[in-house]
Amino acid sequence: MKSLLFGRFLLLLPWVLVVIIVLDIDSSRPPLPPRAGAGADGGVGGSGVGVRGPEAALPTIYAITPTYSRPVQKAELTRLANTLRQVSRLHWILVEDAAARSELVSRFVAAAGLPCTHLHVPTPRRYKRPGLPRATEQRNAGLAWLRQRHQHLPPPQPGVLFFADDDNTYSLELFHEMRTTRKVSVWPVGLVGGRRYERPVVENGKVVGWYTGWRADRPFAIDMAGFAVSLQVILSHPKAVFKRRGSQPGMQESDFLKQITTVEELEPKANNCTKVLVWHTRTEKVNLANEPKYHLDTVNIEV
Amino acid sequence: MGNEELWVQSVLEMPKRRDILAIVLIVLPWTLLITVWHQSTIAPLLAVHKDDGGDSRRDLAAGLDSKEYCLSDRDIVEVVRTEYVYTRPPPWSDTLPTIHVITPTYSRPVQKAELTRLANTLLHVPNLHWILVEDSQRRTPLITRLLRDTGLNYTHLNVETPRNYKLRGDMRDPRIPRGTMQRNLALRWLRETFNRNNSQPGIVYFADDDNTYSLELFEEMRSTRKVSVWPVAFVGGLRYESPKVNAAGKVYGWKTVFDPHRPFAIDMAGFAVNLRLILQRSQAYFKLRGVKGGYQESSLLRELVTLNDLEPKAANCTKILVWHTRTEKPVLVNEGKKGFTDPNVEI
Repeated sequence: MKSLLFGRFLLLLPWVLVVIIVLDIDSSRPPLPPRAGAGADGGVGGSGVGVRGPEAALPTIYAITPTYSRPVQKAELTRLANTLRQVSRLHWILVEDAAARSELVSRFVAAAGLPCTHLHVPTPRRYKRPGLPRATEQRNAGLAWLRQRHQHLPPPQPGVLFFADDDNTYSLELFHEMRTTRKVSVWPVGLVGGRRYERPVVENGKVVGWYTGWRADRPFAIDMAGFAVSLQVILSHPKAVFKRRGSQPGMQESDFLKQITTVEELEPKANNCTKVLVWHTRTEKVNLANEPKYHLDTVNIEV
Repeated sequence: MGNEELWVQSVLEMPKRRDILAIVLIVLPWTLLITVWHQSTIAPLLAVHKDDGGDSRRDLAAGLDSKEYCLSDRDIVEVVRTEYVYTRPPPWSDTLPTIHVITPTYSRPVQKAELTRLANTLLHVPNLHWILVEDSQRRTPLITRLLRDTGLNYTHLNVETPRNYKLRGDMRDPRIPRGTMQRNLALRWLRETFNRNNSQPGIVYFADDDNTYSLELFEEMRSTRKVSVWPVAFVGGLRYESPKVNAAGKVYGWKTVFDPHRPFAIDMAGFAVNLRLILQRSQAYFKLRGVKGGYQESSLLRELVTLNDLEPKAANCTKILVWHTRTEKPVLVNEGKKGFTDPNVEI
């Protein structure tokens, strides 16, 4: 009798184990979320980012890039896109300084190969004087789009926002560093302020001062490329925008940051602000002295 | 008698059948168990690899300093990837010809920035071999580290352009155009490394570190049989310079303002050469001295090919896929004479 029971038990045991394991696999396999498409607003670019299990937890990086038409525009956007395409979960917000979406940028966005939103807002003529801050309206348009998009989505949506000018150079390590931003993070910027680099001075993991060659008395003596803000902070300060009225040259970053954070709250990245991961490169103005005024070419080639 | 035998036979067979049934009933669940258990450990790994293959070609670097992927499914969902995951180039293909990109470089403040963004572009291109030649006495640690961190397939060379001792300071010999010795060294390296009879298909392209390249360009040049050409933007004081292509698809001239009667009125970034041709014409190099401005490219190309053999790319030379951008010299006036910032911080 005992042996019979024992025999039956041995027979049933593997079946029971199989059932347990199958149930275990089913419960722990992450549900496949739907493919997230690119942003709305007309110029929908490239392939959507398919979110799979391990990456569902990665915060999205939003890069706001103001751009304007000049000969090197397409070249700058091309090499910036080549960099940004290497970064996972990055959403590019391209804002043209134009009254309407240009063909060049629209075509570019369509073939960019990364999630991209194409906006446009013209800068009023009276603000186009040298010495006045540039790209204010475009960055504010990017902020407005971001706020409007997340209005109806349930919180919390992890995300990090930073301002990527189209002529700077970004290393891929920078994006890893900024992804862990909780509120506002800062890091050194190369080739700016008349120096090899500028950086926040860090002691005990906190920012205590600014190492800069230009107006170190600014509340936030940092370049536009030297900080990133978490999406939560942007959404919880809906009135924080770049100032136009009463804005002094070189104070853009300070005026913006003091609306949303304090120096004590800043998170230093890049190994306590000792590594340069972004460079404020500028591209030379192109020599077009030989372009003919009349007798233009028979074909119209986009450069 | 017959019936009895049959009956005995069937009785003998029945226990056999029962035994077989019993054995199957025992073995089956155990095999199922083992299969399912295997799947439960392999499935998460498969999901990870599919991830890496599909989404922007990401892979774990060989030297992760912190968390590694755990094997169980549950852990992968919860791990937030905070370690550095350097992107790798696309997997090597056995069918695509290798593109050997020769880049001369020299030390200046924007060097690391230029090479970083060039590397970010090259990381997209499959079957790419980057030959970086420094204009220096020794291979510098900055470049060594940079090349290693990109994950690209590379070769790091160096040769110093002789200084002109008559001029003070860091002036190189102005009679030797910049980058010539470096490009020639790379050509020599290719000839020493690859056997002429070894039919490893390859394309050679000269890419300066401050230009801008679209990804389409590399795919266009991959089909080069001898020498292919295409337009280049922002050279010669024009929006672009381009070869003139006739209806038969042959190059018959050059659409430039600056000296269109050069044998090859084209910029360094505007042509690519099949590796076989480089290996066959083993004495063809860029001329070092006595070369007029704008004739450097001609000094090499005239030893390799004639106008008739040129293959026009980029939709018969009507599309711009490469821009001759130049980077501004950064203003470092606040460094002063002795230097202000910490020289140990690498830029």
